[in-house]
Amino acid sequence: MELICLGLNYRTAPVEVRERFAVGTGKLDAAGRALIASGAVGEGVVLSTCNRTEFYFAARDGEAGMAAARDYLRENFDLRAGDDGHFYELHRRDAALHLCRVASGLDSMILGETEIFGQIKQAYRIALEAGLTGGTLNKVFQRAFSIGKKVRTQTSIQEGATSVGSVAVDLAEKIFGHLKHSQVMVMGAGEMSRITAQSLLSRGAHSIFVTNRSYERAVELASEMQGQAVRFDEWQAVLEKVDVVISSTGAPHTIVDRAHVEAVRRKRKYRPLFFIDIAVPRDIDPAVGEIEEVYLYDIDTLEQLAGEARKLRQKQIEVCDGIIHEELGKASLPGIIKREA
Amino acid sequence: MEQGYLILSTALAAIGGALGIRSVHRGERSRWTIVWMAGAFLAQLAFLTLRGEHRGACPLRDLGEVLAFLAWSLTLFYVCVGPLYRVSLLGVFTAPAVVVFQMVALMPGVLDANPQHAVHVDPWREAHGALSVLSYGALALAAVAGVMFLMLNRLLKEHELSSGLFKNLPPVRELVRLEVRLMTLGFILLSAGILSALLMRELGGRAHLLAAASTWAAYGALLAVQAVRGLTPRRLSEVAILLFALSLTVFAFL
Repeated sequence: MELICLGLNYRTAPVEVRERFAVGTGKLDAAGRALIASGAVGEGVVLSTCNRTEFYFAARDGEAGMAAARDYLRENFDLRAGDDGHFYELHRRDAALHLCRVASGLDSMILGETEIFGQIKQAYRIALEAGLTGGTLNKVFQRAFSIGKKVRTQTSIQEGATSVGSVAVDLAEKIFGHLKHSQVMVMGAGEMSRITAQSLLSRGAHSIFVTNRSYERAVELASEMQGQAVRFDEWQAVLEKVDVVISSTGAPHTIVDRAHVEAVRRKRKYRPLFFIDIAVPRDIDPAVGEIEEVYLYDIDTLEQLAGEARKLRQKQIEVCDGIIHEELGKASLPGIIKREA
Repeated sequence: MEQGYLILSTALAAIGGALGIRSVHRGERSRWTIVWMAGAFLAQLAFLTLRGEHRGACPLRDLGEVLAFLAWSLTLFYVCVGPLYRVSLLGVFTAPAVVVFQMVALMPGVLDANPQHAVHVDPWREAHGALSVLSYGALALAAVAGVMFLMLNRLLKEHELSSGLFKNLPPVRELVRLEVRLMTLGFILLSAGILSALLMRELGGRAHLLAAASTWAAYGALLAVQAVRGLTPRRLSEVAILLFALSLTVFAFL
């Protein structure tokens, strides 16, 4: 058997191409069955995420297997002229190395992200339960999972928050611990506010107040997040009770000044208050950050922190690749050794 | 023999603290500190037991014994509180305080070389000494948590978030909660200690009484202000550290 990977990802294909080859989770088993239907392909696993669609398969004759896979693409997807250039084709050890790199998050758009590991496990489990895997893919995937785990635990590839939203959420947890007792106010109903607020909600923040110049937009966002809309001239009253303020209005001047916070300090009993200012121009006067119990982070600081984490992860690539090569070298996997072809 | 246990305890706390600091610098959790500190605690216990047997009373008759008892009390609260609150780093900050207290206790002349067996034992006096020093353990740990908060606060304010120390420090809210709870516990124990003193056959010196009453009143006022009006976490931590440092003057008037 020969191990082969045929795929496209965010590096080789734009989203309008990727979406034509995307396979929904519920259809992964059917796609795998169609892949091995010709008989030239013995085993198959289909991996499809928003950033990649990859077909891992094992064929007794590599060339015949590839031909069958191309026929499968022609018959099952909207394959167009020029699409060939978006696909990569990896054989034997290169295919196994690629799978290990994908499982380790080294091939992800956000380096080191953890979601891909679960997605590969799910794709493999579906193929396994559908009886689409055998001696080759079972061993290769099991090995890739153990290598992926080792890379993630022995290096800093998934350390630190790499996006503005995740840095903000990590900071909120550093200040408040578990967010289940934390209340959040979102000022401005923009996309960034929504994403950051949803990250806080997903980590346990229990109530969200949304305020916006357009009250209708505030109501819309509040209902989406099961929060409460607040009229823009009433946000100061809410400031008394919240722990986190995410601000991203389009105002040309600051919205929250030192005097606003000073006015509620006593009523808040001087509890910590975390301001996340992701607006440009800034919504929160920098002088607010001088108040003892206030922690103020603006978009530049958050972006800088995310950038530092990304750089740290970049530095880890070489170490991770070293582990993958070493671990793969230790294993005698079917499908990657030439004499088996 | 007794001093050997105190030396052993000091060494264990020093090793635990040093290994903990090394872990923190590497950005790792200092998970073994609790084990070293538990070892230090057992050695302290052995020292105090032997000393108590020699005295035939609670071993709080000279400054060395008071400091060793204080270090024991501080370690006791850390061993209880650290795992409960998952504050592993607390041990890294507690260990140096334990080492300092015990190093001073081990200095020549601080521990009575030939402890005299007590002729008369007043149970209220024993209770007063034990409860008071125990309260100081809780108050010392509150001050340690205060130091940890001030370090975390500086890092958060200055946006320096890449250090191993930052990664290992517990959240602001947990540290503040820990400080308040430890000070409340310390205050309750101190109140019981002072009440026991009032029942003693002979009251201590006036300066000692004044220093103890001032400490009690100051902690009481701090906790009342925190509960009623609220304090910024920074102010609370600064006052907790300052009060503990000032309260040590009580031992100067023994």
